[in-house]
Amino acid sequence: MEDPSIDKVAISGPALASMIQRFSTSQGSVDGLIFGHVSHIAPTLTDDSPNSTSSATLIATITGFFCSGSTHSFYNSSGRVDPVLLRRLVLAQAQSPSAHLLGWFSGRRKTHLRPSLREFSVSNALSSNPNLTFPIQNPPEGPSSPNLVPSLFLLFASPITDQTIHTHEYRAYHFRASKHSFEPKSIQIVNIGPAFRAQYENFSPNSPFPNLPFELRVSPMIVDRGEENLDQLRQVNKDQSELDMCTQGLEVGSLSRLMGSEAANYTTGVEDLYEKMLVKIESLTTLVEKSSANVLEQENLNRKLRYKAARSAALE
Amino acid sequence: MLSQRHTPSRSATTMSPETAPPLIAAQLNYLLSHFPLLVKIENKWSGSKYYPGILDRFTLVISYCLDVIKWDIIFDAESPMAAPDVIFGPDDENFQQFLVLRGEEEGDTKSPKKFLNDWNSRDPTQLMLLIQELRDQYMSFQKKRVAEVDDDRLKFEISTIVAREGIEMHMSSGVDKPEEVKFSVPLLDMNINKMVPGCPWKHKQKIYLQVIYPVEKKYVSTPSAPRLKLVSTTELKSIFSIDDVKLPTWLNGMCMAEYLPHLEESLENQVLEAVSLIDVRRRFIEALALQFGRPLEADPVFCRKATFLAASGVFTFLVHVLISTQFPKQQPELMLQSSQHFNSQGAPIKSLFLTEYPWSPRWEIPLMAERICDYLTDEALNFKRYCNEPQLQH
Repeated sequence: MEDPSIDKVAISGPALASMIQRFSTSQGSVDGLIFGHVSHIAPTLTDDSPNSTSSATLIATITGFFCSGSTHSFYNSSGRVDPVLLRRLVLAQAQSPSAHLLGWFSGRRKTHLRPSLREFSVSNALSSNPNLTFPIQNPPEGPSSPNLVPSLFLLFASPITDQTIHTHEYRAYHFRASKHSFEPKSIQIVNIGPAFRAQYENFSPNSPFPNLPFELRVSPMIVDRGEENLDQLRQVNKDQSELDMCTQGLEVGSLSRLMGSEAANYTTGVEDLYEKMLVKIESLTTLVEKSSANVLEQENLNRKLRYKAARSAALE
Repeated sequence: MLSQRHTPSRSATTMSPETAPPLIAAQLNYLLSHFPLLVKIENKWSGSKYYPGILDRFTLVISYCLDVIKWDIIFDAESPMAAPDVIFGPDDENFQQFLVLRGEEEGDTKSPKKFLNDWNSRDPTQLMLLIQELRDQYMSFQKKRVAEVDDDRLKFEISTIVAREGIEMHMSSGVDKPEEVKFSVPLLDMNINKMVPGCPWKHKQKIYLQVIYPVEKKYVSTPSAPRLKLVSTTELKSIFSIDDVKLPTWLNGMCMAEYLPHLEESLENQVLEAVSLIDVRRRFIEALALQFGRPLEADPVFCRKATFLAASGVFTFLVHVLISTQFPKQQPELMLQSSQHFNSQGAPIKSLFLTEYPWSPRWEIPLMAERICDYLTDEALNFKRYCNEPQLQH
């Protein structure tokens, strides 16, 4: 059975920090999915290298995650994965085509940092699901390279006895479907610096920002070109609606002035654009803040009700 | 082995600090009081962020192969109705793999998965059934590991004894430990509990032989003898002390199938004798009653203890008679306790254990009682003097 070994797990510092933050602010245990890509990094050849035949490495880079805020979000208590729930969660996290489901994570307070029975079963089920395979991003040349399965598992825990300095623990595992076992992997935290050149060379932007048509509608000649113009108009409308998601009122047409000879004079246009984006973001923050407060209130209420229910159930 | 009885749980309705949620507490209490083998809760703590007094994580200590295994049972105080999760010991990483693969083979009909799948928090037997099933699976897991050891002698030994009912085995290996295979072989196919009239034991009393084989390297020509040790359940001590048994020597080139029958035969005789000695002790206590009158207190099941009231003139005192399992070879220990003299703390004054008095195991039982009575007639005077001494100092 083909089962390439992932050599390293890379995650950006902020992404890891925000995963730990989600875990530490949650009420109880949490789980979630991790997304990213696996890329192939050719060894850097140096003449001094003692073993110049060192093989290339596979690095799994975590680019995103989804935290369910609770447990059993896509599996049941014996660790059987529910394909419908999983599909729904993966689709809800509509990511760029380069981000695949790499695996999942689990966070539980005050427990030993070892995979539990349920976690083992979930990883086993995820990695044996044939519908979830994905390719290596830049496969090495040669015969066909094998597809990968979501086999990463990140485990978060906190020490059983309270400690003043050390508050959270984490460990990454690669579940080897061929051996049915976890292999601990080192986590490389990616930060900016020369040591991480390889990651940056693999960078591909994936934010949805419109193409900027150069010199749009500047020349009156274009207006007269019938069919082509219609296509362009449609494209402009589409770009406009995408731009409206970030900032309302700014016209795509005026973006063209950001380029070319006029660009030097057009600082106000850029400032206008940023200002409008900021306003939008600010209103979003207040909205999120308000809804978070509501959610928290509701969660507290739910918890009280749950305790009440558990108590009355025990009394019966 | 005294299983730890659960303390009656505090009122289920109040969430007082340091308690498990009622549904979880019910599961644990049932486990502790109904599990057929020794099980204890070694550690309990809370994983809850908001209610640090609600216990939902437990370390269970379960007896296995004359040793223990420790498993963490992880409940969630936030959802007390949900099934727990289990974290196994650090040495048993491959157990999960065994469980999952076996579950796939057998179609999950008889696997721990089934219990977790159909968890019903209102049925307090669930946790016990889960642990029982997991322990059974653990036994098969260890059996499989031992079978994989590449050692010809071991393979032979296993083939001869594997059919024994109740045999458990354990493979211990580690970075800095030598590889060893440990067997716990239950001996004597007899129900000792049934042989003792009025037996109060909750668990079935058993004697085991612990056999530890070092895993041999291929090039060793003469395999070393295994380490042997007899172990009994703790309650058996009241009629039979395993420490007094002398193990037959293990001859070079011997195997367990040769060794066990001899051992079992001699052990069986010793156990039967020990059981018959209960009756000898009972008759001895009855003989004492003729001399001292009806005992104030006596151990009616094992007949290891009796207390009589005696008097020498106006001086009244208690006589405690402690009878060992080696009676009548070993004479009983006597202790006197004054009914009239107290020390400065208000406790009655007691004599030291008296073991040096005329005795012969060949005497008839009534004679033994008579001689003790004679001895105590003199000793009572010494004891009275001893009791009066501290008072003189005042």
